Amino acid sequence: MRRFEIGDHVTVREATTLFHHRTQAYTRGHTGVVVEHRPEWLIPEDEAWQREDGRVEPFYVVRFRQRDLWPGYTGLDRDTLETEVAEGWLVPAEEGMQ
Amino acid sequence: MTSPSELDSLQRRVLGLAPEPAARLDSPYWISNEFYGALRHVLHDVGGQPDAPVAYVDKEEADWELRTYVLCEVLAWRGVWNSEMRRRAENDLGATLYFGLPYYARWITVAAKALVDKGLISVSELAAKIDDVRARKAAGS
Amino acid sequence: MSPTHDHDHAPIEAANEISEFDVLETAIRELAIEKGLFSPEDHRRFMEWAERIGPHGGSRLIARAWLDPEFKQRLLADGTETSKEIGIDWLDPTGTGTPSDFTYFYVLENTPDVHNVIVCTLCSCYPRPVLGQAPEWYKTPHYRRRVVRWPREVLAEFGLHLPLDVEVRVHDSNQKSRFMVMPMRPEGTEGWTEDQLAAIVTRDTMIGVALPRADWTAARSPAATPR
Repeated sequence: MRRFEIGDHVTVREATTLFHHRTQAYTRGHTGVVVEHRPEWLIPEDEAWQREDGRVEPFYVVRFRQRDLWPGYTGLDRDTLETEVAEGWLVPAEEGMQ
Repeated sequence: MTSPSELDSLQRRVLGLAPEPAARLDSPYWISNEFYGALRHVLHDVGGQPDAPVAYVDKEEADWELRTYVLCEVLAWRGVWNSEMRRRAENDLGATLYFGLPYYARWITVAAKALVDKGLISVSELAAKIDDVRARKAAGS
Repeated sequence: MSPTHDHDHAPIEAANEISEFDVLETAIRELAIEKGLFSPEDHRRFMEWAERIGPHGGSRLIARAWLDPEFKQRLLADGTETSKEIGIDWLDPTGTGTPSDFTYFYVLENTPDVHNVIVCTLCSCYPRPVLGQAPEWYKTPHYRRRVVRWPREVLAEFGLHLPLDVEVRVHDSNQKSRFMVMPMRPEGTEGWTEDQLAAIVTRDTMIGVALPRADWTAARSPAATPR
Protein backbone atom coordinates (compact mmCIF):
# COMPACT_ATOMS: atom_id res chain seq x y z
CA MET A 1 0.00 0.00 0.00
CA ARG A 2 1.46 3.30 -1.07
CA ARG A 3 1.55 6.21 1.26
CA PHE A 4 1.65 9.01 -1.33
CA GLU A 5 -0.38 9.87 -4.40
CA ILE A 6 0.61 11.83 -7.47
CA GLY A 7 0.28 15.51 -6.66
CA ASP A 8 1.13 15.10 -2.97
CA HIS A 9 3.63 17.52 -1.52
CA VAL A 10 6.38 15.60 0.21
CA THR A 11 9.51 16.48 2.18
CA VAL A 12 12.69 14.43 2.08
CA ARG A 13 13.68 13.62 5.65
CA GLU A 14 16.79 15.10 7.22
CA ALA A 15 18.47 11.95 8.46
CA THR A 16 22.01 10.82 9.09
CA THR A 17 23.62 9.00 6.20
CA LEU A 18 26.56 6.64 6.62
CA PHE A 19 28.94 5.03 4.11
CA HIS A 20 26.53 4.66 1.21
CA HIS A 21 23.08 5.91 0.19
CA ARG A 22 21.27 7.18 -2.87
CA THR A 23 19.32 10.08 -1.35
CA GLN A 24 21.27 13.12 -2.42
CA ALA A 25 22.19 15.66 0.27
CA TYR A 26 20.76 18.45 -1.87
CA THR A 27 17.28 16.93 -1.59
CA ARG A 28 17.28 16.27 2.14
CA GLY A 29 15.07 18.69 4.05
CA HIS A 30 13.50 19.97 0.82
CA THR A 31 9.91 19.77 -0.36
CA GLY A 32 8.68 18.78 -3.80
CA VAL A 33 5.71 17.19 -5.53
CA VAL A 34 5.14 13.53 -6.38
CA VAL A 35 4.83 13.40 -10.17
CA GLU A 36 5.08 9.65 -10.85
CA HIS A 37 4.98 6.35 -9.08
CA ARG A 38 7.77 3.83 -9.50
CA PRO A 39 7.69 0.12 -8.62
CA GLU A 40 8.72 -1.31 -5.28
CA TRP A 41 12.47 -1.73 -5.28
CA LEU A 42 15.08 -3.03 -2.87
CA ILE A 43 16.40 0.03 -1.04
CA PRO A 44 20.05 0.82 -1.79
CA GLU A 45 21.04 1.01 1.88
CA ASP A 46 20.37 -2.74 2.08
CA GLU A 47 21.29 -3.74 -1.46
CA ALA A 48 24.74 -2.19 -1.10
CA TRP A 49 25.61 -4.79 1.56
CA GLN A 50 23.61 -7.61 -0.08
CA ARG A 51 21.59 -8.05 3.11
CA GLU A 52 19.51 -11.21 3.16
CA ASP A 53 16.69 -9.28 4.85
CA GLY A 54 16.86 -6.45 2.33
CA ARG A 55 13.79 -4.20 2.50
CA VAL A 56 11.62 -3.33 -0.47
CA GLU A 57 9.85 0.04 -0.67
CA PRO A 58 7.70 1.91 -3.18
CA PHE A 59 9.63 4.63 -4.98
CA TYR A 60 8.41 8.02 -6.23
CA VAL A 61 9.56 10.58 -8.75
CA VAL A 62 9.66 13.88 -6.89
CA ARG A 63 9.83 17.18 -8.74
CA PHE A 64 11.52 20.11 -7.00
CA ARG A 65 11.73 23.73 -7.99
CA GLN A 66 15.40 24.52 -8.51
CA ARG A 67 15.12 27.78 -6.60
CA ASP A 68 13.95 25.76 -3.58
CA LEU A 69 17.02 23.52 -3.71
CA TRP A 70 19.91 25.89 -4.25
CA PRO A 71 20.84 29.13 -2.54
CA GLY A 72 21.17 31.86 -5.15
CA TYR A 73 19.98 29.65 -8.01
CA THR A 74 21.11 31.43 -11.15
CA GLY A 75 18.52 30.00 -13.55
CA LEU A 76 14.84 30.83 -13.84
CA ASP A 77 11.98 30.33 -11.41
CA ARG A 78 10.36 27.83 -13.77
CA ASP A 79 13.37 25.47 -13.75
CA THR A 80 12.85 22.10 -12.08
CA LEU A 81 14.68 18.94 -11.06
CA GLU A 82 13.32 15.42 -10.78
CA THR A 83 14.78 12.49 -8.93
CA GLU A 84 13.56 9.23 -7.40
CA VAL A 85 13.05 8.80 -3.67
CA ALA A 86 12.23 5.73 -1.59
CA GLU A 87 9.07 6.00 0.51
CA GLY A 88 11.00 5.67 3.77
CA TRP A 89 12.81 8.91 3.03
CA LEU A 90 9.57 10.89 2.52
CA VAL A 91 7.15 12.55 4.92
CA PRO A 92 4.07 14.65 4.09
CA ALA A 93 5.02 18.29 3.61
CA GLU A 94 3.99 20.44 6.53
CA GLU A 95 1.26 23.05 6.17
CA GLY A 96 2.66 26.26 4.78
CA MET A 97 5.55 24.52 3.01
CA GLN A 98 3.48 24.04 -0.10
CA MET B 1 52.35 37.17 -32.30
CA THR B 2 50.46 34.75 -30.12
CA SER B 3 47.75 32.76 -31.88
CA PRO B 4 44.42 32.21 -30.09
CA SER B 5 45.25 28.56 -29.47
CA GLU B 6 48.72 29.43 -28.13
CA LEU B 7 47.18 31.98 -25.79
CA ASP B 8 44.61 29.43 -24.64
CA SER B 9 47.41 26.98 -23.99
CA LEU B 10 49.40 29.60 -22.07
CA GLN B 11 46.37 30.63 -19.99
CA ARG B 12 45.72 27.04 -19.02
CA ARG B 13 49.36 26.55 -18.12
CA VAL B 14 49.31 29.67 -15.94
CA LEU B 15 46.08 28.56 -14.28
CA GLY B 16 47.79 25.26 -13.54
CA LEU B 17 50.48 27.12 -11.57
CA ALA B 18 48.03 28.63 -9.09
CA PRO B 19 48.32 27.15 -5.60
CA GLU B 20 45.55 24.76 -4.66
CA PRO B 21 44.22 25.26 -1.15
CA ALA B 22 43.89 22.08 0.84
CA ALA B 23 43.48 21.12 4.48
CA ARG B 24 46.37 18.88 5.47
CA LEU B 25 45.02 15.71 7.02
CA ASP B 26 47.42 13.59 9.04
CA SER B 27 45.41 11.94 11.83
CA PRO B 28 44.67 15.16 13.74
CA TYR B 29 44.43 15.00 17.56
CA TRP B 30 40.97 16.55 17.48
CA ILE B 31 38.38 17.60 14.93
CA SER B 32 35.07 19.45 15.31
CA ASN B 33 31.69 17.87 14.60
CA GLU B 34 31.35 20.22 11.67
CA PHE B 35 34.64 18.97 10.23
CA TYR B 36 33.62 15.37 10.91
CA GLY B 37 30.37 16.06 9.06
CA ALA B 38 32.35 17.06 6.00
CA LEU B 39 34.66 14.05 6.27
CA ARG B 40 31.69 11.72 6.73
CA HIS B 41 29.83 13.10 3.71
CA VAL B 42 29.41 10.15 1.35
CA LEU B 43 31.93 10.74 -1.43
CA HIS B 44 29.81 10.01 -4.48
CA ASP B 45 27.21 12.61 -3.48
CA VAL B 46 28.81 15.48 -5.40
CA GLY B 47 25.71 17.17 -6.88
CA GLY B 48 25.83 20.93 -6.39
CA GLN B 49 29.44 21.18 -5.26
CA PRO B 50 30.81 24.40 -6.75
CA ASP B 51 33.39 23.79 -9.43
CA ALA B 52 34.94 25.77 -12.23
CA PRO B 53 33.95 24.99 -15.82
CA VAL B 54 36.12 22.57 -17.74
CA ALA B 55 36.06 21.55 -21.38
CA TYR B 56 33.81 18.52 -21.61
CA VAL B 57 35.82 16.34 -23.99
CA ASP B 58 35.13 12.92 -25.41
CA LYS B 59 37.69 10.19 -25.02
CA GLU B 60 37.91 6.96 -26.89
CA GLU B 61 37.30 4.00 -24.65
CA ALA B 62 40.33 1.78 -24.14
CA ASP B 63 39.99 -1.98 -24.55
CA TRP B 64 40.56 -2.59 -20.84
CA GLU B 65 37.76 -0.15 -20.00
CA LEU B 66 35.14 -2.06 -21.98
CA ARG B 67 36.55 -5.34 -20.63
CA THR B 68 36.30 -3.96 -17.10
CA TYR B 69 32.66 -3.05 -17.64
CA VAL B 70 31.91 -6.54 -18.97
CA LEU B 71 33.87 -8.30 -16.21
CA CYS B 72 32.09 -6.40 -13.44
CA GLU B 73 28.70 -7.08 -15.02
CA VAL B 74 29.36 -10.78 -15.53
CA LEU B 75 30.47 -11.10 -11.89
CA ALA B 76 27.14 -9.56 -10.88
CA TRP B 77 25.17 -11.70 -13.35
CA ARG B 78 26.65 -14.79 -11.72
CA GLY B 79 25.84 -13.57 -8.22
CA VAL B 80 29.31 -12.67 -6.94
CA TRP B 81 28.12 -9.17 -6.13
CA ASN B 82 25.58 -6.59 -7.35
CA SER B 83 26.01 -3.16 -8.90
CA GLU B 84 25.08 -1.34 -5.70
CA MET B 85 27.85 -3.20 -3.86
CA ARG B 86 30.24 -2.00 -6.53
CA ARG B 87 29.10 1.59 -6.09
CA ARG B 88 29.37 1.30 -2.30
CA ALA B 89 32.84 -0.19 -2.63
CA GLU B 90 33.87 2.81 -4.74
CA ASN B 91 32.88 5.09 -1.86
CA ASP B 92 34.81 2.82 0.49
CA LEU B 93 38.00 3.56 -1.45
CA GLY B 94 38.26 6.95 0.24
CA ALA B 95 38.65 10.34 -1.39
CA THR B 96 42.20 9.99 -2.69
CA LEU B 97 41.48 6.86 -4.71
CA TYR B 98 37.88 7.78 -5.57
CA PHE B 99 38.91 11.03 -7.20
CA GLY B 100 42.40 9.90 -8.18
CA LEU B 101 41.44 6.96 -10.37
CA PRO B 102 39.90 7.14 -13.85
CA TYR B 103 36.29 5.97 -13.98
CA TYR B 104 36.75 2.32 -14.97
CA ALA B 105 39.96 2.08 -12.93
CA ARG B 106 37.67 2.58 -9.92
CA TRP B 107 35.53 -0.32 -11.09
CA ILE B 108 38.40 -2.75 -11.62
CA THR B 109 39.99 -1.79 -8.31
CA VAL B 110 36.85 -2.53 -6.32
CA ALA B 111 36.22 -5.73 -8.28
CA ALA B 112 39.61 -6.99 -7.12
CA LYS B 113 38.88 -5.94 -3.56
CA ALA B 114 35.42 -7.55 -3.55
CA LEU B 115 36.80 -10.93 -4.61
CA VAL B 116 39.43 -10.76 -1.89
CA ASP B 117 36.96 -9.54 0.74
CA LYS B 118 34.59 -12.39 -0.05
CA GLY B 119 37.41 -14.93 0.27
CA LEU B 120 37.00 -16.01 -3.36
CA ILE B 121 40.65 -15.28 -4.11
CA SER B 122 43.57 -14.56 -1.83
CA VAL B 123 45.49 -11.33 -2.13
CA SER B 124 48.71 -13.30 -2.71
CA GLU B 125 47.32 -15.27 -5.62
CA LEU B 126 45.97 -12.06 -7.14
CA ALA B 127 49.39 -10.42 -6.80
CA ALA B 128 51.09 -13.46 -8.34
CA LYS B 129 48.58 -13.45 -11.20
CA ILE B 130 49.18 -9.76 -11.80
CA ASP B 131 52.92 -10.37 -12.09
CA ASP B 132 52.31 -13.29 -14.42
CA VAL B 133 49.90 -11.34 -16.65
CA ARG B 134 52.18 -8.30 -16.74
CA ALA B 135 55.11 -10.44 -17.85
CA ARG B 136 53.01 -12.12 -20.53
CA LYS B 137 51.67 -8.84 -21.87
CA ALA B 138 55.16 -7.32 -21.89
CA ALA B 139 56.35 -10.32 -23.91
CA GLY B 140 53.51 -9.63 -26.32
CA SER B 141 51.79 -12.98 -25.93
CA MET C 1 45.07 22.23 -11.12
CA SER C 2 46.48 18.77 -10.92
CA PRO C 3 49.35 17.49 -13.05
CA THR C 4 46.86 15.56 -15.16
CA HIS C 5 45.39 18.86 -16.38
CA ASP C 6 48.68 20.15 -17.69
CA HIS C 7 48.23 19.15 -21.28
CA ASP C 8 44.54 19.40 -22.16
CA HIS C 9 43.51 15.93 -21.15
CA ALA C 10 45.96 14.06 -23.32
CA PRO C 11 46.06 10.37 -22.43
CA ILE C 12 47.61 9.97 -19.02
CA GLU C 13 49.21 6.66 -19.82
CA ALA C 14 52.32 6.82 -21.93
CA ALA C 15 52.20 5.30 -25.37
CA ASN C 16 53.52 1.75 -25.61
CA GLU C 17 53.14 1.23 -21.89
CA ILE C 18 50.76 -1.54 -20.87
CA SER C 19 48.32 -0.06 -18.39
CA GLU C 20 48.31 -1.65 -14.94
CA PHE C 21 44.51 -1.51 -15.17
CA ASP C 22 44.68 -3.65 -18.30
CA VAL C 23 46.87 -6.10 -16.37
CA LEU C 24 44.54 -6.07 -13.37
CA GLU C 25 41.44 -6.72 -15.51
CA THR C 26 43.06 -9.69 -17.18
CA ALA C 27 44.34 -11.09 -13.87
CA ILE C 28 40.92 -10.94 -12.25
CA ARG C 29 39.15 -12.34 -15.31
CA GLU C 30 41.54 -15.30 -15.52
CA LEU C 31 41.24 -16.02 -11.78
CA ALA C 32 37.45 -15.74 -11.88
CA ILE C 33 37.27 -18.25 -14.73
CA GLU C 34 39.78 -20.58 -13.03
CA LYS C 35 37.65 -20.50 -9.87
CA GLY C 36 34.46 -21.10 -11.81
CA LEU C 37 32.84 -17.79 -10.82
CA PHE C 38 31.66 -17.48 -14.41
CA SER C 39 32.35 -19.27 -17.68
CA PRO C 40 34.22 -18.03 -20.76
CA GLU C 41 30.88 -18.41 -22.55
CA ASP C 42 29.21 -16.02 -20.07
CA HIS C 43 31.91 -13.46 -20.74
CA ARG C 44 31.75 -13.89 -24.51
CA ARG C 45 27.98 -13.48 -24.51
CA PHE C 46 28.10 -10.26 -22.49
CA MET C 47 31.00 -8.87 -24.53
CA GLU C 48 29.19 -9.46 -27.81
CA TRP C 49 26.22 -7.55 -26.46
CA ALA C 50 28.43 -4.74 -25.12
CA GLU C 51 30.09 -4.35 -28.52
CA ARG C 52 26.73 -4.20 -30.26
CA ILE C 53 25.04 -1.45 -28.24
CA GLY C 54 25.42 2.23 -29.10
CA PRO C 55 23.54 5.47 -29.69
CA HIS C 56 22.17 4.08 -32.97
CA GLY C 57 19.48 2.33 -30.89
CA GLY C 58 18.25 5.57 -29.35
CA SER C 59 18.50 7.42 -32.67
CA ARG C 60 16.25 4.81 -34.27
CA LEU C 61 13.67 5.11 -31.49
CA ILE C 62 13.52 8.90 -31.82
CA ALA C 63 13.42 8.95 -35.63
CA ARG C 64 10.57 6.46 -35.67
CA ALA C 65 8.70 8.40 -33.00
CA TRP C 66 9.00 11.57 -35.11
CA LEU C 67 7.40 9.78 -38.05
CA ASP C 68 4.83 7.62 -36.30
CA PRO C 69 2.64 9.34 -33.67
CA GLU C 70 1.28 6.05 -32.36
CA PHE C 71 4.78 4.63 -31.91
CA LYS C 72 5.69 7.85 -30.10
CA GLN C 73 2.79 7.44 -27.68
CA ARG C 74 3.77 3.83 -26.98
CA LEU C 75 7.41 4.85 -26.46
CA LEU C 76 6.50 7.58 -24.00
CA ALA C 77 4.05 5.30 -22.18
CA ASP C 78 6.37 2.28 -21.90
CA GLY C 79 9.95 2.75 -23.05
CA THR C 80 11.13 -0.71 -22.03
CA GLU C 81 8.40 -2.57 -23.91
CA THR C 82 8.43 -0.32 -26.97
CA SER C 83 12.23 -0.69 -27.37
CA LYS C 84 11.53 -4.27 -28.47
CA GLU C 85 9.85 -2.95 -31.63
CA ILE C 86 13.28 -1.92 -32.94
CA GLY C 87 15.00 -5.04 -31.61
CA ILE C 88 16.26 -3.74 -28.26
CA ASP C 89 15.31 -6.04 -25.39
CA TRP C 90 16.16 -4.58 -21.98
CA LEU C 91 16.34 -8.15 -20.65
CA ASP C 92 19.45 -8.78 -22.81
CA PRO C 93 22.03 -10.19 -22.53
CA THR C 94 21.29 -12.16 -19.37
CA GLY C 95 17.53 -12.73 -19.54
CA THR C 96 17.09 -10.41 -16.56
CA GLY C 97 18.74 -7.26 -17.93
CA THR C 98 22.16 -5.89 -17.10
CA PRO C 99 23.20 -5.72 -13.45
CA SER C 100 23.97 -1.99 -13.59
CA ASP C 101 21.20 -0.67 -15.84
CA PHE C 102 18.09 -2.61 -14.78
CA THR C 103 14.94 -2.70 -16.91
CA TYR C 104 13.01 0.53 -16.25
CA PHE C 105 13.42 2.82 -19.23
CA TYR C 106 11.68 6.17 -19.58
CA VAL C 107 11.76 8.54 -22.55
CA LEU C 108 11.46 12.25 -21.69
CA GLU C 109 9.77 14.38 -24.33
CA ASN C 110 11.12 17.84 -25.03
CA THR C 111 8.39 20.37 -25.86
CA PRO C 112 8.41 24.07 -26.76
CA ASP C 113 7.99 24.67 -23.00
CA VAL C 114 10.26 22.04 -21.37
CA HIS C 115 13.83 20.99 -22.08
CA ASN C 116 15.07 17.83 -20.36
CA VAL C 117 18.67 17.01 -19.47
CA ILE C 118 20.05 13.89 -17.80
CA VAL C 119 22.72 13.35 -15.18
CA CYS C 120 23.53 10.84 -12.48
CA THR C 121 25.12 12.82 -9.67
CA LEU C 122 25.87 9.73 -7.56
CA CYS C 123 27.72 7.62 -10.13
CA SER C 124 26.97 7.70 -13.85
CA CYS C 125 23.75 5.77 -14.46
CA TYR C 126 23.10 5.78 -18.20
CA PRO C 127 20.70 3.95 -20.55
CA ARG C 128 23.38 1.69 -22.06
CA PRO C 129 20.98 -0.61 -23.97
CA VAL C 130 19.82 2.33 -26.12
CA LEU C 131 22.84 4.68 -26.01
CA GLY C 132 25.86 2.42 -25.43
CA GLN C 133 28.64 3.44 -23.07
CA ALA C 134 28.41 6.93 -21.59
CA PRO C 135 30.76 9.62 -22.89
CA GLU C 136 33.71 10.32 -20.63
CA TRP C 137 32.51 13.80 -19.66
CA TYR C 138 29.17 12.41 -18.46
CA LYS C 139 31.06 10.27 -15.93
CA THR C 140 33.24 13.06 -14.56
CA PRO C 141 32.60 14.55 -11.11
CA HIS C 142 32.65 17.94 -12.87
CA TYR C 143 29.50 17.28 -14.88
CA ARG C 144 27.86 15.50 -11.95
CA ARG C 145 28.57 18.42 -9.62
CA ARG C 146 27.53 21.25 -11.88
CA VAL C 147 24.67 20.35 -14.17
CA VAL C 148 22.17 19.85 -11.34
CA ARG C 149 22.80 23.28 -9.91
CA TRP C 150 23.93 25.35 -12.90
CA PRO C 151 22.13 23.63 -15.77
CA ARG C 152 21.81 26.68 -17.99
CA GLU C 153 25.49 27.51 -17.61
CA VAL C 154 26.57 23.94 -18.36
CA LEU C 155 24.27 23.71 -21.37
CA ALA C 156 25.69 27.02 -22.62
CA GLU C 157 29.17 25.52 -22.34
CA PHE C 158 27.96 22.79 -24.68
CA GLY C 159 26.78 25.52 -27.06
CA LEU C 160 23.12 25.18 -26.13
CA HIS C 161 21.48 28.49 -25.20
CA LEU C 162 17.85 27.95 -24.24
CA PRO C 163 15.15 30.63 -24.53
CA LEU C 164 14.07 32.21 -21.27
CA ASP C 165 10.50 30.93 -21.61
CA VAL C 166 11.66 27.31 -21.57
CA GLU C 167 11.70 25.34 -18.32
CA VAL C 168 14.93 23.41 -17.83
CA ARG C 169 14.13 20.10 -16.16
CA VAL C 170 17.12 18.20 -14.81
CA HIS C 171 16.65 14.47 -14.25
CA ASP C 172 19.05 13.12 -11.64
CA SER C 173 19.03 9.41 -12.46
CA ASN C 174 19.71 8.12 -8.97
CA GLN C 175 17.89 4.79 -8.62
CA LYS C 176 16.80 2.02 -10.98
CA SER C 177 15.22 4.03 -13.81
CA ARG C 178 17.16 4.97 -16.89
CA PHE C 179 16.28 8.00 -19.01
CA MET C 180 16.68 9.26 -22.55
CA VAL C 181 15.58 12.60 -23.98
CA MET C 182 13.31 12.80 -27.02
CA PRO C 183 14.35 16.04 -28.73
CA MET C 184 11.96 18.00 -30.93
CA ARG C 185 12.20 17.36 -34.66
CA PRO C 186 14.06 20.29 -36.19
CA GLU C 187 12.80 22.42 -39.05
CA GLY C 188 14.10 21.60 -42.50
CA THR C 189 13.55 17.86 -42.14
CA GLU C 190 10.15 17.69 -43.82
CA GLY C 191 9.79 14.59 -45.97
CA TRP C 192 12.90 12.91 -44.57
CA THR C 193 13.10 9.14 -44.18
CA GLU C 194 13.63 7.36 -40.88
CA ASP C 195 17.30 6.76 -41.78
CA GLN C 196 17.85 10.42 -42.61
CA LEU C 197 16.25 11.50 -39.35
CA ALA C 198 18.14 8.94 -37.28
CA ALA C 199 21.42 10.37 -38.59
CA ILE C 200 20.83 13.75 -36.94
CA VAL C 201 19.71 12.34 -33.59
CA THR C 202 23.13 12.31 -32.00
CA ARG C 203 24.00 10.88 -28.61
CA ASP C 204 24.25 14.34 -27.04
CA THR C 205 20.76 15.31 -28.20
CA MET C 206 19.41 12.28 -26.31
CA ILE C 207 21.32 13.24 -23.15
CA GLY C 208 19.89 16.73 -23.52
CA VAL C 209 23.07 18.79 -23.95
CA ALA C 210 22.46 19.48 -27.64
CA LEU C 211 19.60 19.93 -30.11
CA PRO C 212 19.36 18.10 -33.44
CA ARG C 213 19.95 20.19 -36.55
CA ALA C 214 19.03 19.45 -40.13
CA ASP C 215 22.54 20.42 -41.24
CA TRP C 216 24.33 18.37 -38.61
CA THR C 217 24.14 14.85 -39.92
CA ALA C 218 27.50 13.59 -38.71
CA ALA C 219 27.33 11.92 -35.33
CA ARG C 220 29.77 14.40 -33.88
CA SER C 221 29.62 15.85 -30.45
CA PRO C 222 29.78 19.55 -29.65
CA ALA C 223 31.86 18.49 -26.66
CA ALA C 224 34.53 17.18 -29.00
CA THR C 225 34.56 20.35 -31.08
CA PRO C 226 37.42 22.74 -30.32
CA ARG C 227 36.19 26.12 -29.21
